[in-house]
Parts: sequence; structure tokens; C-alpha cells
Amino acid sequence: MTTKRVLLLIGIVSAVLLIVGFVVGAVGSRMFGLERPFVSQPGIHLPPDPVFPAAVRESVVGYRVADKKTDDHGEAKSGQDAADDKEHADEEHHGLGIMQFAVTNTMLSAWLTSVVMLVFFIGGARNPKVIPSRLQALVEMLFELVLNFASSILGPEMGRRAFPVVATIFFFVLFNAWIAIFLIPIYQAVGYGANVGGEFKLATHLVRPAGTDLNFPLALALVSFVFVEYWGFRAHGFGYLKKFFAFGDLLRGRPSGLINIFVGILELVSELVRIVSFTFRLFGNMTAGEILVVMITFLVPFIATQFVFGLELLVGLIQSVIFAGLTLVFLSVAVSHEEH
Amino acid sequence: MVELGLNVPALISYLINYVVLLILLGALAYRPLLNALDSRVDSIRESLAAADRAREEAATSRSAIEEELNEARREGQRLLDQAREAAERFREEEMERARQSAEEFSERARADIARERDAAVSEVRAAFGDLAISAAERIIRRSVDRQAHQDLIDQVLAEGEQALRRN
Repeated sequence: MTTKRVLLLIGIVSAVLLIVGFVVGAVGSRMFGLERPFVSQPGIHLPPDPVFPAAVRESVVGYRVADKKTDDHGEAKSGQDAADDKEHADEEHHGLGIMQFAVTNTMLSAWLTSVVMLVFFIGGARNPKVIPSRLQALVEMLFELVLNFASSILGPEMGRRAFPVVATIFFFVLFNAWIAIFLIPIYQAVGYGANVGGEFKLATHLVRPAGTDLNFPLALALVSFVFVEYWGFRAHGFGYLKKFFAFGDLLRGRPSGLINIFVGILELVSELVRIVSFTFRLFGNMTAGEILVVMITFLVPFIATQFVFGLELLVGLIQSVIFAGLTLVFLSVAVSHEEH
Repeated sequence: MVELGLNVPALISYLINYVVLLILLGALAYRPLLNALDSRVDSIRESLAAADRAREEAATSRSAIEEELNEARREGQRLLDQAREAAERFREEEMERARQSAEEFSERARADIARERDAAVSEVRAAFGDLAISAAERIIRRSVDRQAHQDLIDQVLAEGEQALRRN
């Protein structure tokens, strides 16, 4: 069979899957009067689900299943009633408390990503040879990309110093995003089931992309913040604080010192707001991607989601570049702010 | 924020996760591979420098070889000139020697000829004197004083010799 025929066959199968997916999806089933869509309506839960210990998982998932039962029975309810239920569910939070510990599915995903990263990078970097193996060459290429990126912003010496922290952030974000796409069957289909309305359904996933957990981008944002401030202090000593508390001119009796104080406060606020912006940029993008995948799967199952996966690959790469790049830029500003 | 999933233990867990990853990757991946890249860069730089040196050395040695060849050529030419000069000198000396021996031989021959001629002339003269005396005795048929005859004959011979030399 020639390549052309294989491609034609794939095209026909894809088209058939697309049409079938549309017909049996949420939109098609309503249009063609089917009893229920192929994929049931997904519930969007921003907090990650606890996986271990089992008691916490049962507790959290149990509340959700109860909500779901209400939703499922809500077919006979009017639209207004359904909206009321939704509002009611939002008011009551049944997730983990702020200090409650549990191993969540996003944590498991981060650990899985860490293991994959360690195997991949240490495998490629172990016993490096002058004539590299394919894995070593690939790892070298990735390291050089990040190193050149860091050096282009910070210069060769500082770029080399910042490389480990920035590269770990970059690869951690990238691998977290991409592993969820490459291992989509595990991420989408493996989990804990529950009896919902007399039917056994997947109630919680075993693993979920760590980027969709607010704590993951927040942790990386804190790392980036501490790293930048550490280098700021290291480069300028306590004089680094003059950037934020510019009282010098005012104490010398210059009225323009008031402007400097205002600018310093702005600098301080912007420095702290970076943590928030870092966090919600990554969290928002990753969560939006995940929601998009889930919604497309609900609306047009089977093949249509493939296009979203391609988009998500790109989004994962862009977000990791932005996270690492902004850390580098902030570091560059912190190290050299007195030159301005 | 709790509705968004903010959870302090999870946050700490991610921080620990990141730090562990940073330490392990730093020790087992970044450092060895970056060191390997550095050493590769160094070795490439050294190889390029060595290649440049080798090229320069090759160029230098080629010019040295050419210089030596030119020197050898000049030396050969000089030796050839010397040999040619020596041969010329030898030839001239031999020619001179040959000419000298030829002249000596010629001189000797001339002297021998002169001596032989003188001897022959003396012999002829003696014989001619005897012959003349006997002829005169026979012509005159008379006895004359031998001394007077001899003087007469010498005179005649002297005249005759002069006449021969003139001829």
C-alpha cells in the first residue's frame, strides 16, 4: 500500500470520526434528538483532587458525586433551576482546606514529570562523550538552547550562573505541559470511579497536569522571585533596597525626592505583583487549555480534540519560554538597575 | 483563593519538588554535560590552533625546503663551476706542459740536427779535404808541402762553407 493510499485512508477515517463525533457529541445529540451525548457534561473543578489518603479522596469526591447526582436529575429541571444549583455548588466548597495535606493528582503528575525529566536528562548527561549518542546530542541541544537564551539576556558569565535555576523552571513547565498531552490516555482515562446515578463513572483522575494546580505556578513564581531578589542583593548589597525605598533625595531637602519615593513604592508593588502575574499567567493558560480539551471532547468527541492538542503543545512551549524569559529579564534588571 | 485550590502543603511540596529536581539535575545533568561541552569547546579550539600551527609549520618547512633546495642547487652549480674551472685549468696546464715538452723536444731535435749537421759538415769537410788533397795531388801530380796544402784547402773550404751558408 502506497503512502498516498495510507494518507487517504487516514483522511477518510478522520473525516468519518469528525462527522460521527459531531453527531454523537453534545451539539449533534441535541440537534438530532439523541437521548444523551456520547460524553457526559464535564464538571470543571479548579482545585486539584486529593488522591491519597483514600479517606480525604472519598470525602472530596463524595461531595462532588452528590452534586453530580443532583445535576443528572436536573434534566427535568428548568434552566433557571439548573443555574441556581450551579450557584449553590459554587458557594459550597468541598475541596481541601488551605492547610490540609493530601497527595493530589496534580502532585502525582509533577512527580511523574520529575521522574521523566531525571531519567531523560541524567540518561543523556551520564558519561558524556566527545562524539555524543543521540540522547546526549538531544540533551546537549536543549541545554545549549536555554544557555544561549540566558546568555543573550544576561551575558555569558551571568547566563551560566543563572542557567541551572532557569533551565529547571523552563523544563519543569514544559515537561509538565507536554507529558499531559503525550500521555493523554493515562491522564484522561485512569482514575477513581464512583457510582453516579446507578452508573459507574470516572469521578476523579489519578493524574492531572500540574500547571492546572494554582500551587505549582505559585511555587515556581516564588522560586523565580527569591532567585531574582537574591541576585539583586548579591550584586548591590543592601543598596539594592534603595530601588524601593528612595528617601535619599527627600532627606537632602530636594522636593523631587517625593517622586522618587512614589516611584520606589511602584517598583516595590510591581516586584510583588510579579509573583501574582507569574502564577496566574501559567495557571490561567494551562487551566484554559485543559478546559478547552474537556469542552471540545464534550462537544465533538474523538478527532476534533487533536487540533487542540497541537495548540496545547504550542501553548506549553510558549508558557515555559515566557516563564524562563521573564525570570531572566527580571534578573537582568535586578543585577544592573543602578546603571539606569 | 481556596476555591482556586490554594493549599500550603501542596505549595511546599512543589517547592521541595523543584529544589530536589534542581539539585539532582544540577549535580547529575547540568554540571557534567556543561563541563563536557566546555571541554569539547576547548578541544575544538586547541585542535583549530594546532591545525593553524601545523599549517604554519608546513608553510615554514616548505619554504625552508625550497631554500635548502636552492642552496643545494647553488652549491651544485658552484661545484660544477669549480670542476669546470679545474678542468679548464688542468687542460691549459696540460696544454702548456705539452707545448713545453714539444718545444723542448723540438729544441733537442734542432740541437741534435745542428750537432749532426756540424758533425756531418766536419766529416764532409774532412772527407772533402782529403778528397781535395788527393784530387789536387792527382791533378798537380806533384809533391807539395803538406802544410801549405792544408792551409790552402782550409781557405778553400772556408770560402766553400760561406758559400753554403749563403745558399
